[in-house]
Amino acid sequence: MSSLSARLLISVSVLLIFFFGVTIVVLDSAFRSAGEQAQEDILDGHLMALLAAAEPSAQGVLEMPPDLHEPRFGNIDSGLYAELRDDQGNIVWQSRSALGFDMPNGPRPRSGVRLFLEETLADGMPLLTLTLAVQWEFPDGELRPFVFKVAESLDSFNAQIAQFRRQLFGWFGAVALIMLLSISIMLRRLLRPLRRIEKEIVEIEDGQRESLSGQFPTELTGVARNLNLLIDSERARSERYKVTLDNLAHSLKTPLAAMRALLNQDKSDEFAKRFNEQIDRMDEIVRYQLRKPAASPADKFALTLVPVKHEVERLIDGLRKVYHDKQPAIAAEIADNMQFRGDSGDFLEIAGNLLDNACKWCKRHVLITIRPASGAGGMFLVVADDGPGIPADAAEALLQRGTRLDESTPGYGIGLAVVKELAESYGGRLDIGQSKLGGAEFRITIPSS
Amino acid sequence: MRLLVIEDDATLRESLAAKLAESGFAVEQAGDGKEGLYFALEYPIDLAIIDLGLPEVSGLDIIREARNQGKTYPILILTARDRWQDKVDGLDAGADDYVVKPFHVEEVTARVNALLRRSGGWASSTMTAGPVTLDMSRQELTVKDALIELTSFEYKIIEYLMIRAGEVISKTELTERLYDQDFERDSNVIEVFIGRLRKKMDPDNTIRPIETLRGRGYRFALERGQSG
Repeated sequence: MSSLSARLLISVSVLLIFFFGVTIVVLDSAFRSAGEQAQEDILDGHLMALLAAAEPSAQGVLEMPPDLHEPRFGNIDSGLYAELRDDQGNIVWQSRSALGFDMPNGPRPRSGVRLFLEETLADGMPLLTLTLAVQWEFPDGELRPFVFKVAESLDSFNAQIAQFRRQLFGWFGAVALIMLLSISIMLRRLLRPLRRIEKEIVEIEDGQRESLSGQFPTELTGVARNLNLLIDSERARSERYKVTLDNLAHSLKTPLAAMRALLNQDKSDEFAKRFNEQIDRMDEIVRYQLRKPAASPADKFALTLVPVKHEVERLIDGLRKVYHDKQPAIAAEIADNMQFRGDSGDFLEIAGNLLDNACKWCKRHVLITIRPASGAGGMFLVVADDGPGIPADAAEALLQRGTRLDESTPGYGIGLAVVKELAESYGGRLDIGQSKLGGAEFRITIPSS
Repeated sequence: MRLLVIEDDATLRESLAAKLAESGFAVEQAGDGKEGLYFALEYPIDLAIIDLGLPEVSGLDIIREARNQGKTYPILILTARDRWQDKVDGLDAGADDYVVKPFHVEEVTARVNALLRRSGGWASSTMTAGPVTLDMSRQELTVKDALIELTSFEYKIIEYLMIRAGEVISKTELTERLYDQDFERDSNVIEVFIGRLRKKMDPDNTIRPIETLRGRGYRFALERGQSG
C-alpha cells in the first residue's frame, strides 16, 4: 500500500461496509418484526371474527356459517386458512381454502392463551399460525373444549421482506458508490499539488526548469522551499567543484609552464631534456587527476538540455581558426532541435576531442553526425574523417588501454581516454571503426536515462 | 613585431617574454587583467598572448573588449585547464588559437609566427613574392634562390613589410612595432635600415621590392606568389 489514495480509499471502504452492514441488519430486523407484528394483528382479527361467527349446534358441536366475513377463507389455496378441532384433535371444521392439505397439528396452548408460531407444511410452505384453545359454553350449560387455528402463508410476507432487502442493498450500494467516487475525486484535487511537485522535479532533472514554482498550498510550501534549497546547494556544490578543479589546474600548471620557460631550449642540454621529461610526467598526472567529469548523471540537478547544434557550430568555428592553415572541410549533420541531457562542458569535451583528432588526422574531410538515440535525451554521435584510419587491433588496444596514464598514442592520447570515460559516466560507450570517408570513425552512444 | 603578454605569474611571464624577445619580438608585459586590458586597447601591438585565468579582469573579457573596440590583431590564449569549454569560449570570444599549459616556448613562438603570417594573409610559413622568399621558421631570406645575410633588425623590418605585403606602413608604425621600448626612437634609423635592405636584396636596382611613398611610409611592392 504505497499510495496515499489507495490507503484512504481502502480505509473508507472498510468503514462504509461496517457502517452500512450494521444499518442494514438493524433496518432489516426492525422491518421484519414490524411486519410480523402486523401479521399477528391481522390473524388475531380473523380469529376474533371466526369466534364471533361460530354457532353451537344442538349436537354439541360448533358450526361455522358457509360464507365467512373474509372471502379468502372461501378461495382454495388463498394463503389464508382456518380450522377448528375438538378436544381429541379431530378436525371439526375447515375453511374451504384449507381443503386438500393438513395443517400441522402443533402444540396446544392452555385454554384462553393465544399461541403464535411459525410452522412449516409438509411441502415446505412456511406458515404463521395462531392457535387458541377455548372452553365453549353450550346452551345446555356444558363447557366443551375446542381449538381454533388460523394460518397465513408467509410466502408473500417473505417476498415483501426480500423486496425490501433488495431495495435496501440497492440504495446503500448506490450511496456507497457515490461516496467512494466523490472521495476519490476529492483526493485527486487534494493530491494535485503533490503530483505537481513530482512533475516539476522531473522537469528540473530534465533541465527544463530551474527550481520549483513555489505556488503550493500552505502545507507544502515548506517542503517546496526546502527542496529548492537542496537543489540550489547541489548545484552550488557541483559548480564549486568545477571552480576548484579549474583553480587547482591553473595553480599547478602555471608553475610547470614557468619551469619549462626557464629551461635552456638547447636540444643538446641533457639536464634540460630530463627536466622536461619530469615536467611532462607531472603534467600528465595533473591532467589525469583533474580530468574528472564535471557532472555525472548522478548529479541530476546540475544537468541541463544542451542545444547540440549550437554548441557544435561554436566548436567548428573555433576549430576552423585553429586549423586555419589546413582548412579541413568540416560538415555537420545535426537535427535543429536536437538536445543532449547533460552538462554542456561534458558535451563539448566529447565532441571537441573527437573533432580535434579528426581535424588533426584527416586529409581534407571531417563529418560529425548527431541524432537522438532510443528515446528522449539519448544521443548517437559519430565523427568520421578521411585520414589514415585506425586498424581494428590498434582500435581495440586504444579502447582497452583507455584510461591508463603511462603511455599514450601520439595524437590521440589522453583526449580519447577522457571521451571514453565521459561517455561511460553517462552510461554510454565509445566504439572505433572504419568510416565511409575512408578514415577512422568514432561512435558515441549515450542511452536516454 | 610588438607582442603583448598578459600573464599573472611573474616567472612565467618574464621568462616567456625573454624567450620571445630572443626570437626578435618587441614584448609588452602585463601582470593582471586590468593592466592587460589597458595595454590591449591603447598600445600599438601586432599580437596578444592572453592567459585565461587572470585576476581583476578575466582573459575572456579582455578578448571581448578588444574585439568590441575593433582590434583585429591575432590573439593567442594560454589555458591551464584543457577543457574544450574554455577553449571554445576563448575562440568564440575572438581568440585565434590556444596553447595549453605547460607549453614549450618553441610551441608558443611557432603559433605566434603562424598567427602573424595568417593575419597578413599568408597561408604557409614560407612567404614568396616574385623572386623573394622569406622562411619565417628559419628566419631566412632568399632572393633568386640566393641566401641574403641580414642583421636581426634588418630581418625584422623585411619580415614586417612582407607579412603586410601591399600595405603602406608608416615609419612611426615600424619604429613602434620593431623597437623595444628602451631603444632610442629615431625615424632616421629606419631610413638607414631600409636603404641597407634595398642594397642587399636588390643591388642592381632591378626588382625594387620596397617602395617609398613620400610622407606616408614604405610598402613591400612585389606581388604575392611565385613569378616566373
